[in-house]
Amino acid sequence: MKFCFFHLMPYTHLGLESHDWPFPNRYFDPAKASALYRTYVESMIHAESCGFDWVGCNEHHFSPYGMMANCNLIGGALAYPTKRVKIAMIGNLVPLNNPIRIAEEYAMLDCMSGGRLVAGLMRGIPHEYLAYNIPPGESWERQREAVELILKCWTEPEPFGWEGKHYQYRQVSIWPKPLQKPHPPLLISASNADSAKFAAEMRATMGMVLLADLPSGKECIRIYKDAARASGWEPTAENILVGMHTCIAETDAEARRLLTDGLKYFDEVLMGGLQASQRIVLQKTRYFENEESRDRWKSRLDKRRTLTLDEAIERGTVLCGSPETVVRQIKRIHSELGHGVFNFTVKVGTLPDEVIRRGMELFRDRVLPHVRDL
Amino acid sequence: MQPQARKVTLSTGELTYFVAGEGRPLLYLHPAGGVRWTRVLEGLAGSFALHVPVVPGFDGTIAHGTVKSMRGLASLAGEFIEKVIAGPCDVIGCSFGGYAAAWLAAEYPKLVDHLVLECPAGFRPKGTGERPADAEALRKLLFLHPEKLPPESKPVEHEAANRKMLQHYGYTLGTDEELLARLPSIDKLTLILHGTADRMIPKESVQLLKSRMPRSYLVYVWDAAHSIEVDQPERMLSLVESFLQRSEGFMVNWGTLAVNPG
Repeated sequence: MKFCFFHLMPYTHLGLESHDWPFPNRYFDPAKASALYRTYVESMIHAESCGFDWVGCNEHHFSPYGMMANCNLIGGALAYPTKRVKIAMIGNLVPLNNPIRIAEEYAMLDCMSGGRLVAGLMRGIPHEYLAYNIPPGESWERQREAVELILKCWTEPEPFGWEGKHYQYRQVSIWPKPLQKPHPPLLISASNADSAKFAAEMRATMGMVLLADLPSGKECIRIYKDAARASGWEPTAENILVGMHTCIAETDAEARRLLTDGLKYFDEVLMGGLQASQRIVLQKTRYFENEESRDRWKSRLDKRRTLTLDEAIERGTVLCGSPETVVRQIKRIHSELGHGVFNFTVKVGTLPDEVIRRGMELFRDRVLPHVRDL
Repeated sequence: MQPQARKVTLSTGELTYFVAGEGRPLLYLHPAGGVRWTRVLEGLAGSFALHVPVVPGFDGTIAHGTVKSMRGLASLAGEFIEKVIAGPCDVIGCSFGGYAAAWLAAEYPKLVDHLVLECPAGFRPKGTGERPADAEALRKLLFLHPEKLPPESKPVEHEAANRKMLQHYGYTLGTDEELLARLPSIDKLTLILHGTADRMIPKESVQLLKSRMPRSYLVYVWDAAHSIEVDQPERMLSLVESFLQRSEGFMVNWGTLAVNPG
């Protein structure tokens, strides 16, 4: 089993007051953010010495939910201080950005890190489309076209042009090209049937960064594996990434108390303001191609909001407890899903950074030895 | 715009051709399935004097006994340009026609202005490009969006009969090494088109062409299989018109405020 230390880089200096998205940036204090960035990046660098195999981060806009408008900048900050860990961008929001730019920046990261990039090509969550004024109803088409274009950028030996529906370029020849051949491994979100099929068609690792529940995760994995076989390849366990909030402390009680506080900020402040804008996109556009996917996504959010921490632990969607408890939880979830990469979202809301550091060390000393060989 | 069928007598025999539109002359060499009057050809006839000869032996015409090679076919096309168009012209060749168009540009450079090679045959790596015998499988190879086929399209069986003529011209699935060696000498501005879902002509073929032709541009048309004209007619038409009208300037995004968009 491989483990990813994933960071959302939230802004944590707010009261427990929710605002609609976009969150007014009069609440943003750059001096405080400056300190946060340093702490967060140092945690990610430290993850390597704690036995993690990947460090991961992602892109979000216009809210304290995550301070990485361009996570590739964080990837650049990680490339030289680390030596071994994969640098997982989970990832750039492909339909929102210029695909050529994504191909270029990812190629830079791959060269700078000595071929350690995991290239996440994400479709994003609904309200992000408002940020960059991209029609949500075009998200799937843009995603499909842009991913193909990015692959062309990485693999084409001659200058080429692209005449697509959403993207047109007459001369492309990116410098640099990625170090990994034929290209860095892809990671594509696969939290519903459509995205699971697409990830398989693109021979990408499937990612469920915040697992909704075990049965739906199992179903997505089944769909992904079937689609991969139909596309002529057989995924391994390492092609399946499953993620969840994670809190490891000395005792179960301490971990639950800490995570409960962190989740309160996460749910009420970081996630709270997103709901109105997400509702608008979901109700007014065809962000999801069918109602089933839309309802599923909505119910996943609703479920998350209404579950108590105990219920979430019981359902296998949160890792929380002493090292021994977390070992049992990891083994149980792995026995259900058979995945090969576990993605820990460690900075949950206001969970203190020193607690996270201690949790990382507990992971290294008392968790990893028991789950490495899963 | 309805094409008019005409005939001309060349040194090797009678040749049927279609002509439509007015303007700068444009020669179109058809693919192995024969002449298909696509929306791209309709559109081109709106801006150009489009000439579409029927390769002898295709679409029910009589083969010319002495024209038995791709090079011979290029010679026939050259004679057609001299006799009917009476001067150099832009040339588009699709697949089998692209192969012939490349030979035409190599053999008769003075007769060719811009060259467009649409998923051209003639440069396949070994072991690729086998055609399925089954008509439905072939259809899937040709079209990603068969629903866009013009309703008056000829039946696939007629196209199959045309494809049997390929042997007459010594057409093989591999790479024409002689022509490959001559590609660097073709100095015509060339646009090479390839559908991103083309499984009949592998991308390696067009990459090879691009690497050998000094003044060429390679453009991939997304969401198109081998028959780009059927799968993505609007995009192909816009691209080809821009190339033919603006030459190298087709690389520029002219926007709407350009001082001199022409």
